[in-house]
Amino acid sequence: MKKTYRILPVYTGDVSGAASALYELGGMTVIHDPSGCNSTYNTHDEVRWFDQESLIYISGLNDIDAITGNDDKFIKDICYAADKMKPLFIALANSPLPYLNGTDFKGICKVLEEKTGLPCFYVNTNAMHDYSKGQSEAFLSFAKKMLKPSDKKVKNGVNIIGMTPLDYTSTDIYISDGHEIVSNWALNTSFENVMKATQAELNIAVSSSGVAACEYMKDTFGIPYVKGLPWDGKVQDYMGVKRNSSRNYIVGETVVSGSIAAYIKQHTGIDFNVIASTEITDGLLQHCDKRCHGEEEIEEALKDAETIIADPMVKYIVPATATFIELPHFAMSGRLFRKQIPNLLRTEEYLHGIK
Amino acid sequence: MPTSSDEKVRIGEATFPKPFTNGLEFNAPVHGTWNIVHIGFRIPSAHQIYICADNCLRGVVMTAAEMGELGRFSSVVLEEDDMTHSGRIEETTIEGVTDCLNKLPSVPPVVIIFPVCVHKFMGCDIDFIYRELGKRFPDVTFVRGFMDPVMQKRGTTPDQRLRKAMSDIIPNLPVNPDVISFAGSDMPAADNDFQTILEFNNKTVRDTANCKTLDEYLSIGESSLFICQYPAGLMATQTITKRLNRKFIYAPLSFGFDTIESELKSSGLNIPEGFIENGIKSCETEVKKLKDLIGDTTVAIDYTVAPKPLSLARFLLDNGINVKTVYLDAIDGSEEEDFKYLAEKYPELVLHSTIHVSDRRPVRSEGKILAAGQKAAWFEGTEYFVNMIEGGGLYGFAGITGFISLMEDAFVNEKDLRDIVPRKGLGCRSCI
Repeated sequence: MKKTYRILPVYTGDVSGAASALYELGGMTVIHDPSGCNSTYNTHDEVRWFDQESLIYISGLNDIDAITGNDDKFIKDICYAADKMKPLFIALANSPLPYLNGTDFKGICKVLEEKTGLPCFYVNTNAMHDYSKGQSEAFLSFAKKMLKPSDKKVKNGVNIIGMTPLDYTSTDIYISDGHEIVSNWALNTSFENVMKATQAELNIAVSSSGVAACEYMKDTFGIPYVKGLPWDGKVQDYMGVKRNSSRNYIVGETVVSGSIAAYIKQHTGIDFNVIASTEITDGLLQHCDKRCHGEEEIEEALKDAETIIADPMVKYIVPATATFIELPHFAMSGRLFRKQIPNLLRTEEYLHGIK
Repeated sequence: MPTSSDEKVRIGEATFPKPFTNGLEFNAPVHGTWNIVHIGFRIPSAHQIYICADNCLRGVVMTAAEMGELGRFSSVVLEEDDMTHSGRIEETTIEGVTDCLNKLPSVPPVVIIFPVCVHKFMGCDIDFIYRELGKRFPDVTFVRGFMDPVMQKRGTTPDQRLRKAMSDIIPNLPVNPDVISFAGSDMPAADNDFQTILEFNNKTVRDTANCKTLDEYLSIGESSLFICQYPAGLMATQTITKRLNRKFIYAPLSFGFDTIESELKSSGLNIPEGFIENGIKSCETEVKKLKDLIGDTTVAIDYTVAPKPLSLARFLLDNGINVKTVYLDAIDGSEEEDFKYLAEKYPELVLHSTIHVSDRRPVRSEGKILAAGQKAAWFEGTEYFVNMIEGGGLYGFAGITGFISLMEDAFVNEKDLRDIVPRKGLGCRSCI
């Protein structure tokens, strides 16, 4: 049954993804939820608590407020917190019960803007999707609400879009050819940094969650974009490296996996097919790749595998005969293999074994 | 007096039992307390199955993963279609649980099922689900858990109801007058006067927090007396003792000598000659030594360290220890007398919320601070702390002296706050 999981953890959820994306941007993220989403995010999906503060809260929704749709309390509590903590903006995230009772978040945002004078936007989550969707919604909503056109342009300036600790451990990007990084969305960054984004000439979507914001910036500000991790110091679109069907697989986030597969193909000629196990895949897979949702589909897709690159948890569901190369992914195995997560931006360092 | 909308309030101006106004909530990155996954694994051989949406599921599955217990854990993901099609949520739950159990190498004897808030909100027919699962798996004992944090501010918490559901499977066995059980706690009894007295009375002691096999867990049904030492376990203890027609004592770790004496005597067991007097003397001696060691060092306490943090504050303050702050969000009804006493005698004692929005930016003072509990340690930013939760199985005069030893040790030996407090479920295996 597709909805059951025997051994694999589910990926980090969309609410956590939204909170992670907005963590460093100086706003206040309020999850309308009793406590489950927040404690999950706080414990398993966020690594920055000890070093960097962020105004991430839950509404502490109770059954009566959920049933009666008591938005007044929600609004009043947010106004109090905004007055006390002085955020630069307010973002609201949804969870299953407000989703079910059809809470009008956009309406609440309007009320909050009037009452607080702060920009306020809704991130369309409901706790039923994975982090890539939540991050994507958060980046897109932030871009739509906050970005303004810029007269100033940074020559060869690039934005890195879609980077959070759920996929990345480092922002140490090396790009030659005179490129200058204008902003990072949104790791080791700041509100001021991301607000410079419209000065860039190019966006790089380094995960599937960056693509929607890149599309928006292309349509609205005329900034083109490429998809994929830069490697060998070059900005390139991983979709440009054509791959063929094989029995070598890389399982994980769509853009990261696609980039690694492209890197391997370019450097060794070996074909790896992407088993995209996160949600956003439109336009991000080649014909030999596959989208898999849940443990059962991943297990099925890997049945004939010769070589697998994946998070160590995936090892439990693959054929014993397959060669397994561990690539820990925080959004899957969380804190279990955190110390072993490689720097994805140094592809050559962790893929030296591929021949 | 109105509740405080600020993050802290002097106890002399605080309201009982809710000192603080509800609002948006902050969650400190401190996770030593147990959640329902940890608690559920206290039934040996039990398998847990959660049926919920991704984001909530992630928290429980990673709890099990970090405990190295994924082999005893399965999950069923709820999606939008389960909420928009009539009857789908029941179907997904039944078929999902069935699929999970069929995928296991062998069907476990006990399975704890955790539906969630959404099941309740949609009016899901839970009884139908259990009837159907009972038909499909007649040899399995199903424990009716619930993960519905939306209910935790009113009525009973998921944690309390899980403990009750776990005790519901303990059978009504013939009473064995020689067997007495600790029940409802997560921490096995340790430095505990009841244990000493039970041994003195040649009783066989069992503990729901320390069963190695399912048979041992179920044999608790022959106990003649139940001793509950943790508030969240009280409802379970009341229910099982009513069902089995047995007696129980409710005696959480207290720092009041009179309370301890009265609770020990209420057991009806023989108490060794001089036990009470010697116990009191020993506590007085040890707390004086503590005072000599730490002098006027500021002390902060939090509600996770012991079920009665105000009783602890009172004991320490009365013995000259410089307690400045107690971190808590609500006060248990059993602490009303201690609250009134402290409000009257030490009105400057600060009650500090742990979930207030301002707590995201804790104001930390200079100088050495001794904390009792992980949350107090995090808020104060100190590495000198007692790393204990839920009273640690301590009780009585031995419990008090044991706690004082922990404070002395904490004062002398630094701990790695960053490494310790993010780990979930203190006392459980942690694979991170």
